[in-house]
Amino acid sequence: MLKKFTVINYKNFKEEISVDFSHIAGYQFSSDCIYDGLISKMLIYGRNATGKTNLGKALMDIRSIVFKTPQNDGVLLNADSKKTAAVFIYEFIFDGQKLLYQYERLSNLELQREKLVIDNQIIFDCDFVQKNFNFDNLKFIGAETANIERYKQSLEEGEMEDIIELRLPFLRWLISNVALRKDSILLNLSSYVKRMSVISTSDIIRSQSNKVYDIFFESLERSSRLKDLEDFLNSMGIKCRLALKKLPDGQRELYFSHEKLIPFFETASSGTLALFDLYRRLIPLVQTPSFIYLDEFDAFYHYEMAENVIKFFKRKYPKCQIIMTSHNTNLMTNRLMRPDCLFILSGLGTLTALCDATGRELREGHNLEKMYISGEFELYE
Amino acid sequence: MNDYIGEARKRRQNLLIVEGNHEKNELFMLLFRCFPEMKISIDDIWIYGTNIYMLYDDIVNEYGEEWEEDDIDLPFIISKKQGFIPLRYKEDFTNIILVFDYERHDAKFSEKKIVQMQRCFMDSTDMGKLYINYPMIESYQNLCSLPDESYAEKKIPVTLRPGKKYKAFVRKDSVVNKFIDFPHKINDLLEKHFKIFNSKKRKKCCDEILEIKTKDNLLEQIQCILDGNIEKDLGDTAKYQLKAMINHVEYANRGQTYWQYMRKIFIQIIFHNIYKAVQIQCNDHFKESGKNKEQFNRINLEEILTEQNIVSKDYEKGFIWVLCTCIFLIPEYNFNLISEG
Repeated sequence: MLKKFTVINYKNFKEEISVDFSHIAGYQFSSDCIYDGLISKMLIYGRNATGKTNLGKALMDIRSIVFKTPQNDGVLLNADSKKTAAVFIYEFIFDGQKLLYQYERLSNLELQREKLVIDNQIIFDCDFVQKNFNFDNLKFIGAETANIERYKQSLEEGEMEDIIELRLPFLRWLISNVALRKDSILLNLSSYVKRMSVISTSDIIRSQSNKVYDIFFESLERSSRLKDLEDFLNSMGIKCRLALKKLPDGQRELYFSHEKLIPFFETASSGTLALFDLYRRLIPLVQTPSFIYLDEFDAFYHYEMAENVIKFFKRKYPKCQIIMTSHNTNLMTNRLMRPDCLFILSGLGTLTALCDATGRELREGHNLEKMYISGEFELYE
Repeated sequence: MNDYIGEARKRRQNLLIVEGNHEKNELFMLLFRCFPEMKISIDDIWIYGTNIYMLYDDIVNEYGEEWEEDDIDLPFIISKKQGFIPLRYKEDFTNIILVFDYERHDAKFSEKKIVQMQRCFMDSTDMGKLYINYPMIESYQNLCSLPDESYAEKKIPVTLRPGKKYKAFVRKDSVVNKFIDFPHKINDLLEKHFKIFNSKKRKKCCDEILEIKTKDNLLEQIQCILDGNIEKDLGDTAKYQLKAMINHVEYANRGQTYWQYMRKIFIQIIFHNIYKAVQIQCNDHFKESGKNKEQFNRINLEEILTEQNIVSKDYEKGFIWVLCTCIFLIPEYNFNLISEG
């Protein structure tokens, strides 16, 4: 699981900002927000334009390193900083072992440096600019057979051919080129990163190609699947019946089932679409997600539905580290969350848990929402 | 300047509802000064004077007889009554504190109403928290030594009809009194005897005197503070008299400012009242070390009120346990404030 994430000089975060999942404060309630001593359900509040979406993008950056997924959009570095690189530090714990993976990216997304430390032992440290490479301790992860020269060569080739392909991260090369033991910590890392995802409300617009939906609709053809989707929408608070039809051109289309069929996408409310999208993105997954960043996840939800969705996450994905951002202060309650899992992101780029945002000892009976609104945590907003 | 916003909203306000007696507010000023962690600035407190039954009537007027079911907004009720524009709402208040004397002998005394108020006003960060002091707020001074073993058993007969009599009784007996009064005494001395009539200068001198935290060169320190603020021929007398007063209260002798010293005294007063409250409520004694917080968390002000109502019922033989609850606002804010070494 992810223990701590730190980013420096990234987009609006000029200074260091950390999400520390291990910083918990012994509350005896809402313990389902914690898993194995780490925060598994986190809710982040913050005024508009404080960087909630950027924080999600920063957290997900590791996917582009390990799996070459599409790069981050927009300007990478902070526009007010003189530093030339953004620093990303991920600290994980896998089976009691501490893994720290750190890299630095230049404005053109190129890697400047990449370092892996396991249980305080530096495994590799690559300075791509100075061309200083330290691969001395690969044996600690059973990767001593790695053909380092071949890796270095690939870096050289990249430069000579002047191709657009970015410097190949050594971590990605290592995972794909070395036969690692089944219980290797790197495979744990790779598996965790692979199962990370970000879901934002902007996804609800049917921007995906029809093919994406086709695959999903195909999976719904088994009547139990369609019923499951219907049940999901119903239990979250949307009363409806669904029908799936195959059109003469072979395409499938989803409908609300009334006396007559009504096309789903054309008539569904924003809340229904958002909930549908959440289902489509999560439920059919074969592998349980490890980490989900849900940006403004309840922007279109009734307050009760937002609560239902969080409760659903807790039941269905107890171990999954889910960060939700929201403006819905109704969720700022000890019934559902707890003061060490509720955070405020400030315009200054600080992320503070409610329990650290006041000198007051926060108790289970406190009305956190009212306290937030009346300015109890104002100094950290 | 644009006018997109209009009047900006002011949050983090504090409302202190007390009986219309100004001197009672001073305890709070002193408390907030000694515990700056609470971040309650004296200038940010809205003090409203009333009595518990008038406030009760105001609540009923606004919300009806069934008001207990409602989410009572005291800043709204009071600002409406006072004709404030704009009205104030509890959403802008981080602390709403109600402090009233028990006043068993009051003609308007109503067990039902007072219990109802105690039950509803239980969270200072939300609707407000009611602290009832028994028999009255001066009970925090009702200690004849520190520690005072006899405090646990202190009670006063209902026939005393607390008021001036109780106040006089406490003053006579109190070991705390001289500490509480000290800032006023200094101020009075500088004004009346040493003729520092400029209130700004006098306040500055007082503040600096209270900040002295070493007995070394005490006379020189005082001299330094007074220089330029006092007539030359009065300077010598003043510094010797001030030295004697500081030595009497003993804060600088212990290497602490007046505020640091008072904080420690308040902590002791609070603990006396925690033990006493638990004793009244549970009819037992808890002084085992390390369990202080647990004991504090047991305190239920409604149960204490119920017990006080029982023991004071008989006008002839009844009594009231001496207990100050309003100082619990410090450990309620954060128990760590009183659990320091």
